[in-house]
Amino acid sequence: MNITDEILNKYLDGELAADEILLVKKALQASEELQKRFNTLKLVHDNLFSLREDELSPAFTESVMSKITRKKFTVPKQQKYFIISIAAFITVLCLVVFGFSISAIISSSPASSESLDVLDTFAVLSSSLIDFIQQLFTGKGLSIIGSIFSLIIIISGYFFFEMQKRSKADLGNGHHI
Amino acid sequence: MNKFSDQEIIDSVLKGNESDYSIIIDRYKNKAFSLLKRMLKNDFDAEEVLQDSFLKAYNSLRNFKGEAKFSTWFYKIVYNTALTKLSSKKRKIESEMSSVEDYYNLESDLDSVHIEKKDLSEFLQSIVNKLPERYAAIISMFYLNDMSIEEISEVMQISVSNVKVMLYRSRISLRDLILKNKLAGEII
Repeated sequence: MNITDEILNKYLDGELAADEILLVKKALQASEELQKRFNTLKLVHDNLFSLREDELSPAFTESVMSKITRKKFTVPKQQKYFIISIAAFITVLCLVVFGFSISAIISSSPASSESLDVLDTFAVLSSSLIDFIQQLFTGKGLSIIGSIFSLIIIISGYFFFEMQKRSKADLGNGHHI
Repeated sequence: MNKFSDQEIIDSVLKGNESDYSIIIDRYKNKAFSLLKRMLKNDFDAEEVLQDSFLKAYNSLRNFKGEAKFSTWFYKIVYNTALTKLSSKKRKIESEMSSVEDYYNLESDLDSVHIEKKDLSEFLQSIVNKLPERYAAIISMFYLNDMSIEEISEVMQISVSNVKVMLYRSRISLRDLILKNKLAGEII
């Protein structure tokens, strides 16, 4: 039997059958050269078990953990844009309502305000404002405001639901980071 | 918490105790770093790839079904991330593990290594670091990470017989280098 390096490796790993082991043992006893080849192979095998492990500092663990935590509390870019756009929309809406109220108050204030003193002007303006607000929240005005806010809530709800769904899917697929 | 199994720690992390993931990191970081250092031949790249691997594993933790050992699943992530890094750096990656050419590459690579006649284990330590990526990965996983041939084949996605062939070749090349340089003369 020709004892190849592959057979020596298998003998070393205990992967040979009983009769093959016997043959290898006989061959090893018979040949000094083969013995040298096998002993050196065994020496390599034994010494490789004492390979040193490289060490990383504890700061490495902290660094990975901080990245995990930071990512968890960071608002994703798309979500950020969505929040900004909703905030901008609400701000514009408030400005329009505010501007409209001011213009309504001014237009309903008395033309000959020069003849009134400051207190009278203030009283007139306040009553105009109250009238305007009353108008806004009764009948047609109320239904317009209600419709606008319902629309905002529906749109926000839809986007919020979509975002939740996407972030859950991303977390599941491991695409988050 | 250190006495808990990987699966118990993962369950705890999935229940919301994310800080428990640090136990997993501490448990695997040194062994995985040793593997990566031998594959990438560079401390900085090894640390970067290891960090990426831990983040990837954390984000895919829900996908880990416990069919294989966590270590096998994790080393698969580490190994693939390292290969991606190597290919992005356009380094040479051996494509045919069992080709004759590959064996000659391994032999000539080792022949060109400057040999310092220190003690045998020091010599092996330095020479293993110079093995081609896949051979270095097999030696690290088998001898340092105590992984079986089957687990290594799963991590590297190659057949069990290919892993054995590569392991044998590595040992034989190292042995021949020792014989050539008469490093183990007194021992044998």
